[in-house]
Amino acid sequence: MTGWRLFFLAAIVLAAAPFGLPIFAMTLLTEALILGLLAMSLDLMVGYTRLISFGHAAAYGLGAYASGYLLLHTALPLPVAVLAAALLAGVVAIGVAWVCTMATGVSFSMLTLAFAQLLYAVAFKWTSVTGASDGLAGIPRHPGPFGITVFQTKNGYYYLVLVCLLGAYVFCRALVSSPFGAVLRGIRENEAKTLSLGYNTRLYKIAVVALSFALGGLAGALYSPFAGFANTELLFWLFSGQVLIMVIVGGQGTLIGPILGAAFFMLLEHVLSAYTESWALFFGLIFIGFVMFAPQGIWGLLTSRRPKNARI
Amino acid sequence: MALLELDGLTKRYGGLVAVNQVSMRVETGEVRAVIGPNGAGKTSLFHLITGVVRATEGEVRFDGRKLTGLSSYQICQAGLSRTFQLTSLFPEMTARENARLSAQARLALRWQPYGGAAVFAEAARRGDEALERLGLTDVANRPAGLLSHGDQRLLEVAMALAQRPRILLLDEPTQGLSVEETLSAVETLSGLLADGQLTVLLVEHDMEVVFRLAQKITVLHRGTVIADDVPEVVKADADVQAAYLGGYE
Repeated sequence: MTGWRLFFLAAIVLAAAPFGLPIFAMTLLTEALILGLLAMSLDLMVGYTRLISFGHAAAYGLGAYASGYLLLHTALPLPVAVLAAALLAGVVAIGVAWVCTMATGVSFSMLTLAFAQLLYAVAFKWTSVTGASDGLAGIPRHPGPFGITVFQTKNGYYYLVLVCLLGAYVFCRALVSSPFGAVLRGIRENEAKTLSLGYNTRLYKIAVVALSFALGGLAGALYSPFAGFANTELLFWLFSGQVLIMVIVGGQGTLIGPILGAAFFMLLEHVLSAYTESWALFFGLIFIGFVMFAPQGIWGLLTSRRPKNARI
Repeated sequence: MALLELDGLTKRYGGLVAVNQVSMRVETGEVRAVIGPNGAGKTSLFHLITGVVRATEGEVRFDGRKLTGLSSYQICQAGLSRTFQLTSLFPEMTARENARLSAQARLALRWQPYGGAAVFAEAARRGDEALERLGLTDVANRPAGLLSHGDQRLLEVAMALAQRPRILLLDEPTQGLSVEETLSAVETLSGLLADGQLTVLLVEHDMEVVFRLAQKITVLHRGTVIADDVPEVVKADADVQAAYLGGYE
């Protein structure tokens, strides 16, 4: 139960943040939470099922473009457009996973990368829907439903993101602790054995990819109305790699770790880029350091000193 | 009707015939051993029955239902649970979690999106029961990867048993064990089989183990059945002696 106490403490602190932080910090924090949601969604695949995806930008980009398109071309209220975009990413992922799970290991990773690059190319060419290299700009935040306008403000939007992140966390925590999650761990440790025990492992993998994409899509869908735009960079392979790094640096297979990893990544980018243009070089060194000396990641380092909190 | 029927089962790898026209019937309640020197095709036969590899020819029927062409998870769901020649476990999970995950596979409610606690409780109950029957209760909370090799072999059997299979397929359960470990494992297994409730198909090359456990023996040599009878008759069979004593050419 210590884990849930920590969860509520974190929720309260985050909910109080707008009262103590300046505007620019709130903007950073909002983006960090969105990226945290994305990294956490990838953790379902990478940390819990050992499905290494090099194409998670696809989920983010899909969500971002879908919610941007819906808000630009329909009058759907903001939360409805965001949820619809997340759902779309999840549904598309079923098809993607059906193809990608024909392979395993590195081949699986390569297929996820190929799929993300395919979407990247589509976004570049499908001018009428994606705006090609210009992307979608001026994405509005429609009011509603029921006349709610609070999400149009900066802090209101922050709370929308926070609620999505906390809700997704509770969902993911319940998922990985369920009998379904036990099968995912089985696939992670020994897929051949899991199959021979009578589990249709491919179906489980497709399901977890779909859920992971839906939550990653939710993150993207929250990003485009937040930034006001969606462009092809959100679908670029470099971004997929960065999300994977956030998961590994934060601590895979912990859900919380990747959220911290995303915040750490953003903070470091912000601080380092003030001093040098080649901040990515230093981040790369830090990444190598984590892989070599702290493979359990930030969350692993934090909890190894206090083993009581190890099982949040 | 026999519970498990193999009919002209054949597997060719290019020019090599690993399993050649094997036909066999296993009755309910029977403990059947398949023996033969190394490379006789015993494990290949297991892989054919459990759908790990596809047969070139022939058919497997289980309780009258054709299994050939099904995936290995479907064959397991039909009621055939197996162990592997090379120990295959979830090393980071405890023995108890291993058995629980195995039992969970055969629970009808495992896909239900709510009520996970009830699924876990029932699976754990079946898993613990199987662990107890194999004498593993004392090590139940240890990670499977840290168990002794002998306990790991028995844990695999417990996992199969936790599924309450209609037939248990054991692929060399004493493989890689020391003499003492083998003796104690055989002791445990014969206790398990004593009540005659289980139907077992056992692959083994250790003749001592086979004669202790099996009621009927099928002898494979270079993929072909050369004898199929009760242990006393098989022991006296000239072909079998030639296959075993004539070397492993």
